Amino acid sequence: MQNIMRILLVLGVLITGAPAYAAIDGTQLLKQIDRNLNPESYEMYRKIINIEPSGRKMEYTFYSIKKGLDKVAGLFLAPASEKGRSTLRLGINMWLYIPNVGKPIRITSLQSVIGGIFNNADILSLDYSAEYDVEKIEETGNEYLLYLKAKTKTVAYDRLKLWADKNKKIPTKIECLTEASMLIKTLYFKDIKDFGGGIVRPSAIETDSPLYKGYKSIMLFANIKQRDFKDEVFTLTYMPKMDSLRK
Amino acid sequence: MNRLVCAFVILPFLFVPISSFAEEYPSQIPAGQTTETQAPASAPSAEEYKFEPSEIEKKPYHIGGYFEFRPILYGLDKEASLYKLKFFNQDVGKTIEDYDGRLWLEGSYEKGIFGVFLKTNLGLNHTYKGWDHETRIYEGYGSLKPSSSLTVDVGKRVFNWGKGYAWNPVAFVDRPKDPDDPELPREGYIAATADYIKSFNGPLKTFSVSPILFPVYHRINDTFGELNKLNFAGRIYGLLYDTDIDLLFLVGESKTNRFGFDFSRNITTNLEAHGEFAFINNQQKTSVDSNGNISTAKFDAKSFLLGLRYLSSMDTTYTFEYYHNATGFSSSELQDFFSFSDKVFDTFESTGKKNQLIKAETLFQGNYGKMNPGKDYLYLRISQKEPFNILYFTPALTTIMNLGDRSFSISPELLYEGIKNWEFRLKGMALVGSKGTEFGEKQNAYRIEFRVRYYFSLP
Repeated sequence: MQNIMRILLVLGVLITGAPAYAAIDGTQLLKQIDRNLNPESYEMYRKIINIEPSGRKMEYTFYSIKKGLDKVAGLFLAPASEKGRSTLRLGINMWLYIPNVGKPIRITSLQSVIGGIFNNADILSLDYSAEYDVEKIEETGNEYLLYLKAKTKTVAYDRLKLWADKNKKIPTKIECLTEASMLIKTLYFKDIKDFGGGIVRPSAIETDSPLYKGYKSIMLFANIKQRDFKDEVFTLTYMPKMDSLRK
Repeated sequence: MNRLVCAFVILPFLFVPISSFAEEYPSQIPAGQTTETQAPASAPSAEEYKFEPSEIEKKPYHIGGYFEFRPILYGLDKEASLYKLKFFNQDVGKTIEDYDGRLWLEGSYEKGIFGVFLKTNLGLNHTYKGWDHETRIYEGYGSLKPSSSLTVDVGKRVFNWGKGYAWNPVAFVDRPKDPDDPELPREGYIAATADYIKSFNGPLKTFSVSPILFPVYHRINDTFGELNKLNFAGRIYGLLYDTDIDLLFLVGESKTNRFGFDFSRNITTNLEAHGEFAFINNQQKTSVDSNGNISTAKFDAKSFLLGLRYLSSMDTTYTFEYYHNATGFSSSELQDFFSFSDKVFDTFESTGKKNQLIKAETLFQGNYGKMNPGKDYLYLRISQKEPFNILYFTPALTTIMNLGDRSFSISPELLYEGIKNWEFRLKGMALVGSKGTEFGEKQNAYRIEFRVRYYFSLP
């Protein structure tokens, strides 16, 4: 009888005292969020709009492709001054090809190939689960709050706080933080849209940053499609030829 | 003629659509099927943004490029050896002005696995000598791409070998860079080349081979080296342990055989390291002593470059390079050349005889007149991205030092790209060095230039 009481007591503590997130597999949840945002291999078009406090704006149109966990490439289609620039990311390695320079040069994830708040890591982003471990999950109303920690020092942001819709398992907001938890920027995921092929995800990301007070950047998404590419497409030699991939 | 030239320079800027400015303050209404969003609440107005399908439609052809206008003011150093060599029989005043206009035109047409690509320069400039113009194809080649692993190109191409920013000792099949402006377009050479790429999983992620057939005949690459020879060059590239590594070579009889390698690697998220090493077999160097005696030496030259690029937390980029140019002249060899030039100028002034001046000028047209003819150099460029939150504004400071004689150039510049498709750059350069040094003996004491570009693209 005493044993039964002990078991019931332990079970009671586990049921009532344990936090709800103990039942959630953070890694699986993050992988689910990744897959809900994009297929593992895809092509997509993006428009990046930088807005200054005066209301003045600059727009960039960008074609990008991804394969697997660590291969991403992109090509600027507009404005004319940027057209033909291409970017490549293989894991921690990033390159920028500028037609005038004529060869790929290595760039770092913290740089920005365009002005404004989005940097190279935002533009050439990999899956969150490829770069971050889930440290903790909290439930806040209709949302999960995931505390993410970079797997290595080579990741652009050391920590992320990711709010995700509980039902759709899609991010609604991400705060990008330094190791000392200083806020670098906030991403707001908006306007969920059906892109076809089972891809239902936000069609816009807005961002602001305490480092750029009054400035905003917006990323619009279009034509997101599952598409498989040969590995050879993700090479320095292929960077000047990226436009040939567009259909 | 002068009016025509002025029209050439000015008209493109007049015809630039006013909308390129107006688009900075758009008020667009989104269409039915486009992606739309609201601007953040704190934005000046609740603008809506759209992403039209026409913006991403692919056409088989493309025409683009830029118009450029670049006035330059040179402050002359009348005591410098190279000033005396160039202006020995004329007085052009304390300063001279250049007005350069350029239409850089790029075009391409792709259908299936075939493509043709063209880059041309239409230049017009006015200097103290008068008007001059250039119409030149910088690149023009046909391309065959039977698979994503294989490309074959035939025609005039730029290869851009090497990882260095200011110098590339391994660029065996390229024309030399201008270290003061390394991103200026360069003319290519006529060649047949192929790229074969293979990707792997593991430490070696990418491997590619690029063989090049490089002919040197009358009217085909005839400034490259000895005529009537077919040369063979190539590059083997690998991404190995997250490091770019190239092995490069040029063999044939137009130039002596040369081999090299380069590398580049991101050490951390904000630090990149790169380097190059070049071995030139049986390099020939002609030098002159202060009395005008010419000697020729043959030796195996080993040049190398080491560089770093560092991005600070303040968004300041530091690019640093050390270059050892084994084919260059030591500080004493350069000093001898400048002494000889001074002597022949004095002789010309006293006797009017030009023979020795022509000899000095011929030597200058050779190796002494290279962009950087010395042996050891340091390059440092510090650029600050968007200081004081001024978007698209990048001030920079660049210095190039000849370590042999401690002379140097220093170049501040201001770059603004905040108006759609326009680029404005104001750049100055001061040359500092004592008598007998590389930068102290250049014809200019300083240079100020303003460059404005308007980029266009069809479609």
